[in-house]
Amino acid sequence: MIGLIKKDILVLKSNFKILIPIFVIYIFMAFQGMLDISTLLSFLSVMLMMSTFSYDNLNKWDAYAVTLPNGRKNLVKAKYLATVIVILLTSLVATIVSFIITINKGENINYQYIFITLGATIFATFLFQALMYPIIFKFGLEKARLILFILIFGLIFLGGFLINKIDFSFLAAVIDYFSNFIVLILLGLGLLVLIGSYIVSVNIYLKKEF
Amino acid sequence: MNALEIKNLNKKYEGFELKNVSFTVEEGTVMGLIGENGAGKTTIIKAILNILTNYKGEILIFEADNKKNLNIYEDVGVVLDDMFFPEILYVKDINSIMKDIFTKWDSKLFFQYLEMFKLPLNKQIKTLSKGMRKKLEIITALAHHPKLLILDEPTTGIDPIARSEVIDLFRNFMQDEKCSILLSSHITTDLEHIADYITFIDKGEVVLADSCPLLMDNYGIVKCNEKEFQKIAKDDYLKYKKNKYDYEVLISNKKEFKKKYDIKIIDNITLEELMVLMIKGGK
Amino acid sequence: MDIIISNSSGIPIYEQIKEQIKDKIINNELVSGELLPSIRSLARDLRCSVITTKNAYEELEKEGYVKTIPAKGTYVNNINVELIREEQLKKVESLLEKVVNIATINKIKKKEIMDILNILFEEEK
Repeated sequence: MIGLIKKDILVLKSNFKILIPIFVIYIFMAFQGMLDISTLLSFLSVMLMMSTFSYDNLNKWDAYAVTLPNGRKNLVKAKYLATVIVILLTSLVATIVSFIITINKGENINYQYIFITLGATIFATFLFQALMYPIIFKFGLEKARLILFILIFGLIFLGGFLINKIDFSFLAAVIDYFSNFIVLILLGLGLLVLIGSYIVSVNIYLKKEF
Repeated sequence: MNALEIKNLNKKYEGFELKNVSFTVEEGTVMGLIGENGAGKTTIIKAILNILTNYKGEILIFEADNKKNLNIYEDVGVVLDDMFFPEILYVKDINSIMKDIFTKWDSKLFFQYLEMFKLPLNKQIKTLSKGMRKKLEIITALAHHPKLLILDEPTTGIDPIARSEVIDLFRNFMQDEKCSILLSSHITTDLEHIADYITFIDKGEVVLADSCPLLMDNYGIVKCNEKEFQKIAKDDYLKYKKNKYDYEVLISNKKEFKKKYDIKIIDNITLEELMVLMIKGGK
Repeated sequence: MDIIISNSSGIPIYEQIKEQIKDKIINNELVSGELLPSIRSLARDLRCSVITTKNAYEELEKEGYVKTIPAKGTYVNNINVELIREEQLKKVESLLEKVVNIATINKIKKKEIMDILNILFEEEK
C-alpha cells in the first residue's frame, strides 16, 4: 500500500512544474490580503488531489491497479491516506506563509487565531473531500465534477438562506467555551467524517467494475 | 497442475453476452485467445483479473479461487490494452512504486530490461512512442518473476521489429517449465509460432479449442469449383465460402480428405484464414 | 547443429524436426549418449511452440532414437545398425515405389529402369 501512496505523491511531484505558478499566485494574493491563507490551503489540497484522480482516469490506472496483489480496499485506503498527507503538507506551508505575512506586517503573531483558522480549514477540507470521494468512486470523475458543482451551489444557497433565518451568535459562545480545545475537536471531527467516508467508498469500490 | 482454469464463465452486458466460457491453461504452456474485436476476449481477461466483480462462474489461478485469494496475483504479470500507470509519471517511478507492491519485485531485472530495450529512465511515460510504451508495460509485467502472464493484445499497435522483440521476450519467459501464458490477440501470426493451444471466441462463446500445431497441420482450405463442392459430404467440412470464381472450404483433416476426394488444391491454413472462415463461412 | 524448418512446405513442423534429428543420428553427426537441446530451448530457437518440439522428441523416443530421462533431458540412444539399415531400406523402397508408379503410368519397361539403375550404380563406383 505504501507503493500506492507513493504513486499519488509522485504524480503530484511530476505535476509540480505546472502547479508552481498557481502556487505563486496564491501566495502573492495572500500577501496582498486578497485571499485568506486558509482558503489558499483548502483550494490547493483539493486541487492537488483532484489532479491525481484526473491523471488516474486518463490512463485507466484503477483498472490496472485492481489486478495488482494489493487489493481494492488498500487502493481506497491509499487515496485517503495520500489526502491526509497532502492536507498536512499544505497546512504546513499555509502556517509558514501566514507567520511570514504577520511578521511582514510588523504585527504580533496571534497564535490562537492562526491555529483556529487552520483547524477550521482542515475541518472544512476534510468534510469536502469526505463528500467528494464516494461520489467520484461511484460515478467517475466527469460526472462527479458536475454533481459537486451542483452540490456546492446548493450549499452556498442554503447557507445564505440559513444565515438570514437563524441567529448563529450561539456558535461564538460555543467556540469561546471550548476555546483551547476547539482545534483538536475540529480535527478529530474531520477525521471521523473522513473515516466514515472511507468506509462508504470501500463498499462502493469493492463492487465496482472497470 | 493448471495455471488457470475457467469454468462456465457468464457475463451479461447490454448488447453482449459471455456464454459458458470454459478453458484451461496447463502449467508450462501458451494459450492463445483469438477472435474478432468485441468477441469477448477482453471481458474474459477482465474477469480473470478481478477488474470485473459481477459475473457467474468460477476462475481458478494456480488452483485457488481468484476472488478469495488475492495473494495469487503476486505470481501474475499483466499487460492490458490501454490501462497502465498515469502517463505523467516517469519511467523510473514505476520501479519505486512497484517495489512496494510486489514482494518479489526485482529492480535490477527491471533496469536491465529497460537498458536492453533502450527505454529512457528519466522520461515521462507520455513522451514514449506507442511501441516503447508497450515494451515498458511488458517489462513491468515481467519484473516480479511471475509464473503466469496474462496479456491482452500485447502486440497491437507496435511495428514488426518491436513485435518480434516482444515475442522473443515471451519465448525466453517460457524457458521455465513452471511458467505459462494466456495471450489474446487479433494479430494471429504472432500466435502461430508460439501458442501451444488456441481458444477461439466468437460472439461470447468458445467455438473452437485445439492444440495449435495440430490445428495448423490438420486443418486446410480446399479451393474448388461449384461442381466439385457439390460432391463434398456435409460431414467432411466445417464451413465454406462462395466467392465470385471459386469456393473456399474449411476442412479439419487434410489427410483423410485427400484420400476421399480428388480435388487438387488443398492449402495449408493460417489462423487468420481459419478465423475468417469460421466467422464468415456458411455450412 | 543445423535444423532448418520450412513453414510453407506442407510437412508438419514436428515431422521436419524429427526427420532432421533422425538424419543426424543416422549419419553419426549426433552420437550415442549426446544430450539434445531441451524442448523449451529448441522451441525458442526454432521459433515454434513447445508442444511441437515435445511432439518431435516423443516420436523420436517411440522409434527408439532418443531416450528422455525425467528432470535430466533427452539423450541420443545407442541404436543398432540393424535398425538404421531397416530404416534406410524403407526409404529406398518408398522411392522405388514412386519409380514403379511413374513407369507403369508411362509404359516404361522394367528393363529400361534396370538399365538406368545399372548405369547409376556404375557412376557411384
